[in-house]
Amino acid sequence: MFSKITKPFAYLLLGLSVMTFTACDDDDDFPEEENDLEVITRVTLSFTNDQDAGDVVTALAVDPDGAGIQDLEVLENIVLKANTTYTLEMELLNELDPNDVKDITAEVKDEDDEHQFFFAFTEGVFTTPTGNGNVDGEGEVNYLDQDGNGNPVGLETSWTAATATTGTFRVILKHQPGLKTATSTVNEGGTDIDVTFDITVE
Amino acid sequence: MNYKLGVALLIFWSLYFSAIGIAQQQNCIYTVEGRVLDVENRQPIPFVTVRLLGESKGAVTDAEGYFQVRHLCEKEFNLRFSCVGYKPIVHHHDGHHAMPTIYMATDVSQLETVVIESEGEELFFESATIDKIDSRSLAIRPASSLGEVLSEIEGVSFVAIGSNVQLPIIHGLYGNRILIVNNGVRHGFQNWGVEHAPEIDLNNVEKVAVLKGAAAVRFGPEAMGGVVLVEGNGMELSTPLSGMIKTGLESNGRGGYTAANIQYGGDRWSYHLGGGYTRLGDRHAPDYSLTNSGKEEVAVNAGVRFHFRDGDARLSYSLVDQKLAILRTSIFGNGEDLIRALDAEEPLIIQDFSYEIKPPYQSTAHHFLKAEADWNRPGGVWHLIWGGQWNARKEFDVRRNAERPVIDLELWTNDLQLEWEHVTWGPFEGAFGVQLFMQDNDNNPGTGTTPFIPNYNTNRGSVFVIETLERPHIRYELGVRGDYEVTSVRGRETNQDTFSNEYSLGNATLSFGVVKSFMDWEFRSNFGTAWRAPNVAELYSFGQTGYKLSYGLWRYQFNEDGQLQTNKILTEEDEALLPEKGYKWMNELKWDKGIHQLNISAYLNLIENFVYERPIGLTSTVRGPMPAFIYDRNDALFTGVDVTWKTSWSPKLEGVLGASYLWSRNIDKDEPLINQPPNYLRYDLSYKVWTTEKAQLILGADAQYTFRQYHAPQEVNPEDIVNGVVEINEDTPIFDFREAPDGYFLLGGSINGTWKNWTGQLSVYNALNKSYRNYLNEMRYFADEVGRNLVLNINYKF
Repeated sequence: MFSKITKPFAYLLLGLSVMTFTACDDDDDFPEEENDLEVITRVTLSFTNDQDAGDVVTALAVDPDGAGIQDLEVLENIVLKANTTYTLEMELLNELDPNDVKDITAEVKDEDDEHQFFFAFTEGVFTTPTGNGNVDGEGEVNYLDQDGNGNPVGLETSWTAATATTGTFRVILKHQPGLKTATSTVNEGGTDIDVTFDITVE
Repeated sequence: MNYKLGVALLIFWSLYFSAIGIAQQQNCIYTVEGRVLDVENRQPIPFVTVRLLGESKGAVTDAEGYFQVRHLCEKEFNLRFSCVGYKPIVHHHDGHHAMPTIYMATDVSQLETVVIESEGEELFFESATIDKIDSRSLAIRPASSLGEVLSEIEGVSFVAIGSNVQLPIIHGLYGNRILIVNNGVRHGFQNWGVEHAPEIDLNNVEKVAVLKGAAAVRFGPEAMGGVVLVEGNGMELSTPLSGMIKTGLESNGRGGYTAANIQYGGDRWSYHLGGGYTRLGDRHAPDYSLTNSGKEEVAVNAGVRFHFRDGDARLSYSLVDQKLAILRTSIFGNGEDLIRALDAEEPLIIQDFSYEIKPPYQSTAHHFLKAEADWNRPGGVWHLIWGGQWNARKEFDVRRNAERPVIDLELWTNDLQLEWEHVTWGPFEGAFGVQLFMQDNDNNPGTGTTPFIPNYNTNRGSVFVIETLERPHIRYELGVRGDYEVTSVRGRETNQDTFSNEYSLGNATLSFGVVKSFMDWEFRSNFGTAWRAPNVAELYSFGQTGYKLSYGLWRYQFNEDGQLQTNKILTEEDEALLPEKGYKWMNELKWDKGIHQLNISAYLNLIENFVYERPIGLTSTVRGPMPAFIYDRNDALFTGVDVTWKTSWSPKLEGVLGASYLWSRNIDKDEPLINQPPNYLRYDLSYKVWTTEKAQLILGADAQYTFRQYHAPQEVNPEDIVNGVVEINEDTPIFDFREAPDGYFLLGGSINGTWKNWTGQLSVYNALNKSYRNYLNEMRYFADEVGRNLVLNINYKF
């Protein structure tokens, strides 16, 4: 009685398993390569002397593994000349794939009505703007660019260094989709960048 | 005494049926027997007329609802059940099916009279504690989630992300430790994390049963905490064309649903067809709008059954297409934003009410096609099931490229099952089965982000045997199962280099149960093992989801200095591939003394290599400090008690006391586990105001107190981590960003009326409009739960 029952059962089992394991094992595709436009691994600040376009001071922070656990490193701090006016330009890159570096600056420019840079700095480092920036409190920042709604963006800003001193300079990029207005502050939206550099004026 | 007789009869007739196979040529040897119960209270109905259509034979049920018609010449026939005050039914019966149970509904009931031929998949797990959801609860809240409906069972609750994504949690386990079996096939969806709820349309559900014991022997890996069995339309033969139109309105969310279905059963074939649409806008907490918490869902289902002399063939299809909003205020960039959101009394983003679903949201289409055949042979019944599922999921986040999904996955699931349920061999009854399971997960291109989980294929073959042994007053159940699975993984690192791996795991699973009855008592006990392979998300997760960075078991390691490293993808050679193994012992004691029905169940569940996610600190990134989480594994113990005590205070007034207690711990590290359900106490009252032949009015009230979760991990404020007040390392005990919220008391009520073909119900949830936070809702960090909700349902039957 037992073999009568198990025999067709065994055949079926055999047949079905052959079917399965031949049918499904040849799928071995990898996910396609992605253009990672969200990750920023390199933040470069370029201060160009308004009087001398050849005089460019850069500051650099990198997080080479992006979403990995490795900490962000500030490789170059800011060193400015006293009593000099600079135009600060931001460059944001994703260098996770060294063969295919992505320019995130362009991304931000495309969506400038959703983005704004905020700055915090040690009081007395600059003569213009004065104060400690617009991160906490109501300090001024001299934005040189505007979005379509006439609100500041901050990819270009103007700074005049004071006399010799030291302090810190913090750059925050906020992403404020649907939240950015003339009165929106650093407290609205999510953070894309938050990096603090040492600053020296000499 | 009656029970004794019942069991004796059952054994006698079981033997008798097995004899049929041998003596098939003789005439007029067939017998049908069964039992008739009231669908509402499951009490036997005496004096029900059972008649064979077209013949003079028939019977009447006894005091215990049993009936028996003997000396039948045909193996198949139509039976008509009728009784004054109840809806009659015609049932097409064939000799191969087990003793049918007829659940009769009163003329005024919203339910229909139904015939259950066998208890289906639960059949071999009487010892594993089955709880069924009253189909009336399903009918009145079709706009809610499966998790929400299941939570009315003691010991079952749900973990949630907001008001839309809700996963059932049984005895402290959820996600891929609870198996959801939809119409006999395991639901194939992105079952990882708490972010993904099963796509089940409640309008297409006729029955829900929860197996709280380890029933992995029958259903396979992942059934560590229990199994949720969802059954759709049974497609009964010989039923006239009928249908129902349901509509509902909800005040909170200013939306509602509408659904319709029809069914017809002829002599040889039957079908059903249905569909529904649900739309809800932003929900409202007592003090503010929960911005971006709406929901939209379209569901369609259809099925056809063809009955031939020795069997049945069925084909069915269902689609659930949903768009679920996630609370806007839960998304932020870095640790400092998180601190601000945690510290805020009210959500940081509150906007005016809107129906619009904006990022963050999830959009999922789940297609399910099933072909099934039953073939009755002299030795037993063969079941062949093929289920194909296509789950397409897109998740959208608040980001620069918000119009592109951040997660875009397609999951194909193929399930082939062959089972043979043998006729009784002496006192034994049982089944053999073989199952093949294939799953193929692919990332669709164009997300603009490195895939969070890789592409993978899992192929599994399984064999099982279950046997039950009936003796007077006692029933034994024994099951053994073997599984072997191979997984191949193909992914990309963040620099777009590829990686791949292939690994396999096998396991044997065992289950033993006993059901013993004496006088008004029934005792059941079940011991079962269960297992599952760590899923691909637990092994390979890498990167940012929401406000945190997550690293899977094979994506991080600690160097000699105890520092976390994520620069290498590990394999089983670096870090062993250990399956999660569960050992669950479940006991239940039932006492049924007319007006009192008491049900106490106690359980103990030990899980080896329990995988969980825990915070490991903050890492500084371009975005500022980000909370980092790793997947870790330890042994964990879960134990608890569930109590239900039903009392009929008078023929009109009925009360149910429910309570649930759970204690769980990481026993390796002797520390609490995170996100475990808090204990609660509830009392439900229902009062039948009046009942006539054509109309009925019932009032209901329910009260529930949920305690604070006293065994929650300690609080570590992320501000203290950012400021370096607290140092986190490999040995830091588990912590959470906020302590568990306070306990809360909720009150609800309902008025339910029936008149001819119409049924209406007005219910109120959170009647006191209480502001509270639910420990099991991840949104507790940021916002209160929804406030008062008035729900009006009107159903019309034809």
